[in-house]
Amino acid sequence: MKVPYSWIKEFLDIEIPADKVAEKLNTTGIEAVSYKFGQYIPGLTTVKVLSVKKHPEKERLLITKVTDGKKEYQVITADQNIKEGQVVILAKTGAKLPNREIKPVTFGNIQSQGMFVSLQELGIEESSEGIFVLDEDTPIGIDASKLLGLGEEDIIEIEITPNRADVLSVKGLAREIGAIFDIKRKEKYPIVSIMQEIIPQIQLKTEKTYRYRGVIIKNIEVTQSPLNIRLRLIKAGQKPINNIVDATNYILLQEGQPLHAFDLDKIQGQIIVRQAKDGETITTLDREERKLKKTDIVIADEEKPIAIAGIIGGENTKVDQNTKNILLEAAVFDSISIRKTAKRLAVSTESSYRFERGVDIENLPNAQDKAVELILKTTQGKAVGEKDIYPKPYTPKLIHLREKTVLKVLGEVILKEESKEILERLEIPTEITDEGTVSTIPAFRKFDLEREIDLVEEVGRLKGFDNFAPSYPKLSLEGFKKSEEFKFEVQARDFLRANGLTEVVNYTFVGEQIYKTLGIEPPKIRIVNYLLKSQSIMRDNLAVSLIQTFQENIKYQNKDISIFEISSAFFPKHEEIRIGILVHGNIIKGYKYTQGENQFSTSVTWDFLKLKGLIESYIHSLGIFDILYKKTNIPYLHPFHSAQIDIQNQNIGYIGKIHPEKAQKLEIPENTYVAELKLRYIPRDLKEEPLKKGYLYTLYKQKDTVIFKELPKYPSVKRDLAFLVDENLELDKLIKALKESSKLIDKVELFDVYFVENGKKSIAFSVEFRASDRSLSDEEVNQEVENIIKQLQKSFKGLTLRV
Amino acid sequence: MGLKEELLTLKEEITKNLEKASNIQTLEEVRTQFLGKKGRLKHILKTLGKLSPEERKEIGKLANSIKEYIEQQIKEKENILKNLLLQEKLQKEKVDITLPSFWLDIGASHPVISTLVEISEIFLSMGFSIEEGPEIEFEEYNFDMLNIPKDHPARDMQDTFFLNNGMLLRTHTSPVQIRTMLKRNPPIAMIAPGRVYRKDADPTHSPMFHQIEGLMIDKDITFKDLKGILKIFLENVFGKDIPIRFRPSYFPFTEPSAEVDIGCTVCKGKGCRVCKGTGWLEILGCGMVDPNVFKAVDIDPEEYTGFAFGLGIERITMLKYQIGDIRILFENNMNFNNQFKGLR
Repeated sequence: MKVPYSWIKEFLDIEIPADKVAEKLNTTGIEAVSYKFGQYIPGLTTVKVLSVKKHPEKERLLITKVTDGKKEYQVITADQNIKEGQVVILAKTGAKLPNREIKPVTFGNIQSQGMFVSLQELGIEESSEGIFVLDEDTPIGIDASKLLGLGEEDIIEIEITPNRADVLSVKGLAREIGAIFDIKRKEKYPIVSIMQEIIPQIQLKTEKTYRYRGVIIKNIEVTQSPLNIRLRLIKAGQKPINNIVDATNYILLQEGQPLHAFDLDKIQGQIIVRQAKDGETITTLDREERKLKKTDIVIADEEKPIAIAGIIGGENTKVDQNTKNILLEAAVFDSISIRKTAKRLAVSTESSYRFERGVDIENLPNAQDKAVELILKTTQGKAVGEKDIYPKPYTPKLIHLREKTVLKVLGEVILKEESKEILERLEIPTEITDEGTVSTIPAFRKFDLEREIDLVEEVGRLKGFDNFAPSYPKLSLEGFKKSEEFKFEVQARDFLRANGLTEVVNYTFVGEQIYKTLGIEPPKIRIVNYLLKSQSIMRDNLAVSLIQTFQENIKYQNKDISIFEISSAFFPKHEEIRIGILVHGNIIKGYKYTQGENQFSTSVTWDFLKLKGLIESYIHSLGIFDILYKKTNIPYLHPFHSAQIDIQNQNIGYIGKIHPEKAQKLEIPENTYVAELKLRYIPRDLKEEPLKKGYLYTLYKQKDTVIFKELPKYPSVKRDLAFLVDENLELDKLIKALKESSKLIDKVELFDVYFVENGKKSIAFSVEFRASDRSLSDEEVNQEVENIIKQLQKSFKGLTLRV
Repeated sequence: MGLKEELLTLKEEITKNLEKASNIQTLEEVRTQFLGKKGRLKHILKTLGKLSPEERKEIGKLANSIKEYIEQQIKEKENILKNLLLQEKLQKEKVDITLPSFWLDIGASHPVISTLVEISEIFLSMGFSIEEGPEIEFEEYNFDMLNIPKDHPARDMQDTFFLNNGMLLRTHTSPVQIRTMLKRNPPIAMIAPGRVYRKDADPTHSPMFHQIEGLMIDKDITFKDLKGILKIFLENVFGKDIPIRFRPSYFPFTEPSAEVDIGCTVCKGKGCRVCKGTGWLEILGCGMVDPNVFKAVDIDPEEYTGFAFGLGIERITMLKYQIGDIRILFENNMNFNNQFKGLR
């Protein structure tokens, strides 16, 4: 809300500079800035139009003669509304407008000695329909910049938090500023006489309207508002329309009370304030036809709705140039109802904005009478009748504020006398009691002052939060728990970075396309009101995001990529924290020395086993060593180049190469590898246990502690064993069998694998034998080797020992 | 020529030969030639028996001293030659130490996560615990129990993403407060870092971003304590001398509420583009837990008080690294990410 400071001064005798006022408003809870209205422009003068005639050659141009009282000017204009006798603003040659400098111009051999200006050209309105016309009695030949207050008038612009509806008016802001600086507020009450000749017929048929007052004014003339009113509105950021509409807007801004004027002669019979009927329609002042629901409140006559209550008037009863008689409405409607309707219809007006937040029901007649007074100042006419329906008059709430509560919450001793003084500055009548104070809450604060704590805030904020010295609480260690989950993730992150992977943060929502391309079912959880369709599905794996990140980076020409993300995947009943990894290309690039002389460039490139090694190493870092890889059939992975990762028969993730066909569709290189590890289970239901099976964190928490084993006392005996086996044999099965084949085997190390002819491969192990109680003899070991081979041949068909 | 002269000539000869010896091999030859079993010195000494006892004594002494001298000279020469050899070997092994290294380099941290971890660790070390909750949240925990009833204008402050399962993407980390208070009794000192979502996308708003929520409840926690904790926190992030101000504000779940500003870190309070000329930067929201929130989770507001605060990690990150557009944080362009290698 923009408020000219001079307007505030009508309610306060204040000489404090506007910027100081704005600064103080900020530190007591109202966001505020102050600035000057527009910019001073030299070379603007007021002139009277002496004559207007058509340009002889240029069809759309008019040639005018104007005077500033001393000198006559010839000015050419395209504004067809210019009339003899009008007083307008002339920008003389040399005047510097925000966007241009005025120079003498000729239009078809006729010179123009300057230009008439609109508010837009002065830089104080976004768009103007024509030149700005002053009142006819405005003195001519005076500095128009000064007249308008350009670069001079202070504007205070505030933004309120939703609880402070009481500040949404000049008067309310003045009250707040008065409280801050301890200046008593003043007010000029309206002097109007309303005859009771023609009493408006009003029926209140809805409980959602708390007060409705109508005033009939007859024999008015719709004209332009006087300059001072128009300027006020312009400075407050509004467009002047006519004296009637301007009066309602003026009072809305000043008092915070929305008003509406109906053309009385367009109303059929009585005014009925009621709930709308489902499907009923009304064309509103913005020329939109709007369909209503029974939850909307309407103002209607006996035939039709004539306004959507508290939001916008109807076209059918609009005040226009021919209006002679009006019904001026002032009301208070239910804020939730107004809010719902305004939201549904997507209309926000100055009126709905205030009703949604709360309007001072007790100030209603005062505000309305001020409007009547203003209207009757601008036109002939007579207020002939009034009716005020106010079924449940406001009964103020009493709120006690105890000294001990102030201390308990703020930590500061504030005596009851001081509290009383602060609250009374806010125009809240307050008395001293034994324990503290008791306040009678006025209607303008009934929305946010409902409880003792709300008064604590009032006292605290006016005292100034910055005036309280900080204190340092003693932290109770009762119930202390170490935050292991957090550290678990931080460690994972440190590990992955130390292994050369770069951390990324992706949006957790994705589009359908990536799922389609990967050939997997898109998840069911969707954002209903998404911003972009490509950000509408809550992902159930991290690969979909990482792959898209790779695609983007290819566009940026980043071809080698080693990235990870620790983030969420979403499921119907729970969420999972996962590690996602995507790698492609070089891990290291650099040089290698040979023989101390030559250096040649070399590199290490990502492949399945390297990524597997990285993951294994991470899992080992958690003290978990028993990892099993099983064939998997994830559709977007290479069927023979991928595995699910199992620990203690629980699947905790997968690793694999992107399926070549998918890689082609995705336009990413074939040798791209992805992996995901399930770290933690996050339940949504409070009662559900988070330590679930199938997650690394759970395995980590439940793993056995390491028990120290005595170091061996006797030496080991080494044997190299090479086997010929079927080429399809999975190695880890053979290794496992070999390890388990003899109690004397201490260590098994694979040192060679190669394929030979006839579907066979050769596998060579270095095996260490050791007994804990004696040195083994060669014969004993030889015997054991023979046993082992026999045993292995039983489990692996066609296995032979190579010699 | 007498034996004495012969010996002295020999000494001279050897000295010359030694000087000429350029490698271990020639040095060995010199040694054999002069000191070997059939060497010249032995040869001379064989004739010693023909001399008178006095002469024998004198010449013998001389011969011995010459022998010692020669041995000494050979040893020295040997050392020099060995050293030369070593130098040669080392020279051969010379490498260009300025060549690029060949090892895994550290991966880059994401600056947002780095900030989130840094802040979390400050509170962890103060004794706060870290709590968490799901990102898909019940409307009740995200709004109602936080004193934001349906149709309250405050719900407008946070443009919410609604889901087809009747839940929503949490708009703040505050529901973790509710979850924690429902699970445990006070005293509570917790923070909740995490992802949150709002329907907003422009250079300063991202539909997904990160927050840290803080909550401390005990029998005598006051607004001044809130100021103390936040002062410690802000000084540890932004430096000891950072100016801090508390502005009264409004949040439905705290009363009184405040917004905390710090002196602009870019212009040091003089006023610049980043702080829009005010010299201050809005950094977090906070306040005393509203009694209605306590009632919603069955904590007696007459017995307990507490404070809560919430801050946006992206904003702090952007200030720290002078990043102007929030969207670049989530593009994951390696040219951006790799600038943050050295962060923790």
